[in-house]
Amino acid sequence: MPGMADVTGDSFSAALIRTAFLTQTRLKAMRSRTGRRYLELHALSASLDLFKPGAIVPWVSYLFPTEILTSYGITPMIPEIGSATLTGSDLREAVESAAARMPLARDVCSYHRIALAAVENDMLPKPTMCLGTTPLCLGKECLLDMLATRYQVPFREIMVPLPPDEGAASAEVVADVAAQIRELHDDIGHWTGRKPNLKKAVQLSNRAAAAWGQVMSERLAGRLEMDGRQTFASVFLGQLLWGTDAAAKDFERLLSERGRSDLMVPQPEGGRKLKRLLWLHTVPHHDKEIFGLLQQRGAVVTFEEMGQMHMETIDPDDPFPGLARRLTDHTLWGASSRRARLNVALAKQLKVDGAIHFNHWGCRHGVGSVPVIRKAFMEAGIPFLAIDGDALGQGGPAQEKSLQAVESFLELL
Amino acid sequence: MSEVYYTCNLVPTGVIRSMGHHPIWLANRLVSGEAGSPGTSIHPMTCPYVTSLVAAAESAVAGQADGYLVVAGGCDAMRRLGDLLAAGSAGRVFQLAMPRGSDDRSVKTLAAELCRLERWLDDLPPGATDASDAASEEPPPLDYPAEPIPGGVFVIGGPLSNMSIPNLIADLGGVVSGVESCTSPDRWRPLAALRPDSDADPNRERLARKLLAIGMCPRRSTTERRNHLQSRFDETQASAIIYARQSFCDPGAYDAVLAAELAASRDLPFLEIEVGFPFDANGPLRTRVEAFLESQTLDAGLLGDDLFDNDLFGAVGAELDDLYDEEA
Repeated sequence: MPGMADVTGDSFSAALIRTAFLTQTRLKAMRSRTGRRYLELHALSASLDLFKPGAIVPWVSYLFPTEILTSYGITPMIPEIGSATLTGSDLREAVESAAARMPLARDVCSYHRIALAAVENDMLPKPTMCLGTTPLCLGKECLLDMLATRYQVPFREIMVPLPPDEGAASAEVVADVAAQIRELHDDIGHWTGRKPNLKKAVQLSNRAAAAWGQVMSERLAGRLEMDGRQTFASVFLGQLLWGTDAAAKDFERLLSERGRSDLMVPQPEGGRKLKRLLWLHTVPHHDKEIFGLLQQRGAVVTFEEMGQMHMETIDPDDPFPGLARRLTDHTLWGASSRRARLNVALAKQLKVDGAIHFNHWGCRHGVGSVPVIRKAFMEAGIPFLAIDGDALGQGGPAQEKSLQAVESFLELL
Repeated sequence: MSEVYYTCNLVPTGVIRSMGHHPIWLANRLVSGEAGSPGTSIHPMTCPYVTSLVAAAESAVAGQADGYLVVAGGCDAMRRLGDLLAAGSAGRVFQLAMPRGSDDRSVKTLAAELCRLERWLDDLPPGATDASDAASEEPPPLDYPAEPIPGGVFVIGGPLSNMSIPNLIADLGGVVSGVESCTSPDRWRPLAALRPDSDADPNRERLARKLLAIGMCPRRSTTERRNHLQSRFDETQASAIIYARQSFCDPGAYDAVLAAELAASRDLPFLEIEVGFPFDANGPLRTRVEAFLESQTLDAGLLGDDLFDNDLFGAVGAELDDLYDEEA
């Protein structure tokens, strides 16, 4: 049975297996006709192209404005997504063993640790360029910078000042970030020798953003209840596709009932009322236990903090300020007090029964903000729980402890 | 005059002094035993330096009427420490954003931050501290126990609370060629000597440029840090490297890999140890450093040229050298 290791090679047999693998994924998408399945198909298809000989492989940070790559027909390689995909495949053991052999300390973010092990062991394609953004964390900038040095490719960082606690970033700040994005867009053209079509990329991105924004508005208004965990997984993969025709169509599928049918909150039997939760930060990608427990106990995650992105369109004729604004005012960027304020407001708007913060292994900016967030939720009278875990982990003592904490939390609710 | 504590040597204490305040490295409160354990719940996945500083800040800033704090947000954990303390002591904590690079944009960013810092310092109320302390400051109390000797062991670390590692190396019969840490005298002295010059540098760009040139710490751009470490190894003629890495420190983790690669490229023995803050050089750490130093002595004494030099192999010695070179 061919696995992930067989589809990432550049041989003729790998190409055949890749085709078969994609056909299988396409079949699933065609059968379901859901946005989620199509996003999976297109993200996989675009990512596998990065393994082809001669491919341009930009390693970028999670919040990087990928439209400036799509402008040149380039797919980004996002380490967090690469790591989550590999650890969910038959390469899990191999990549974990490789990570264990690395000299890099084990206490750094597992997304970045696994990504480094993967690229060093030919499980992810080597970078052609490394492009970061100061949001959200320093760790991934250290990783991207180190990779650029190691593979002797360009490294660039879009410097984004922290937003004010209240209100939006100033026009001056947005203009400065916009100038950096514009400069980088030009540089990518010089490095690759390709011609840009940013207007088209932004128009396509806008189609996806308009659809996603509409879905999010419906969710925020309480007219649409979608499963936060599954929805996050789709948005997570969608990061690879902003600005493509595929993403525009896939996000637009979410506007129809059928297109979002596999992302909806399950209806409980006998009209029982579910406890509705807000999920903060990333999710355990491969660990079904916590969400299984929530389901067993009549609870569901109805909204995810990290889904709040690309909810507004930008001007295709002058896209840089709009792309910049997405970075400067991102909900997870800024001081802990800003994040706390936004999340408490979100929880109140959604009228959730409680909030769970996932303390991802090695994430300093995430866990560092928890004391302030916890206090804000307590003051607002909204039940709050922070659980430790590894977004790429499966089982283990941390999970046991988290399960017990979730169980107690649900009893409290 | 107010007591203005700072978390990082990249905070220009000359600016604090020029505004009539008394700069104190926050960890001094910890080293002097004035701070207790942190009252605020800090996640155990936080580096010991940041965790310790929370305790120190709670004693020095929250516990004093004229205590203020400047936090250089160089890393995520430190930025979050600033957030936490700012949330509890509104208006008494200033967060200074620190760029990673030293290009013109980074210089301008830092210069703007320094101007913002000056405005904040200017607004501080006069404190109860005696004005006769105006010329003084309390930097990290670290100095070399003895003059560094080229050719010795080179120590790299994050913030160190004392010179225990160089002392330990000396106790074990080794010599230290240099210490590369943000609290080492090579770093804090030139940084503390920087003064703002309102006439020649009204926008503080010169000051920012100097700060970024001196403060080449692990969180800086890989290329700049690499060049900096290489020049430090060269100037000190390091014969071995010990990296004292704090747990849960991202810049330190990546920097240790970089240092190990540089050591390997120079064929220098390398030891990475995980340390806490304040630093305790006893126990298992002592054993590891001792074993490392002993292995160097063994290499030099038993396997070095004195015993197995070319003479031993007579005529084939030179040929062997050529073969080794070819293989390499």
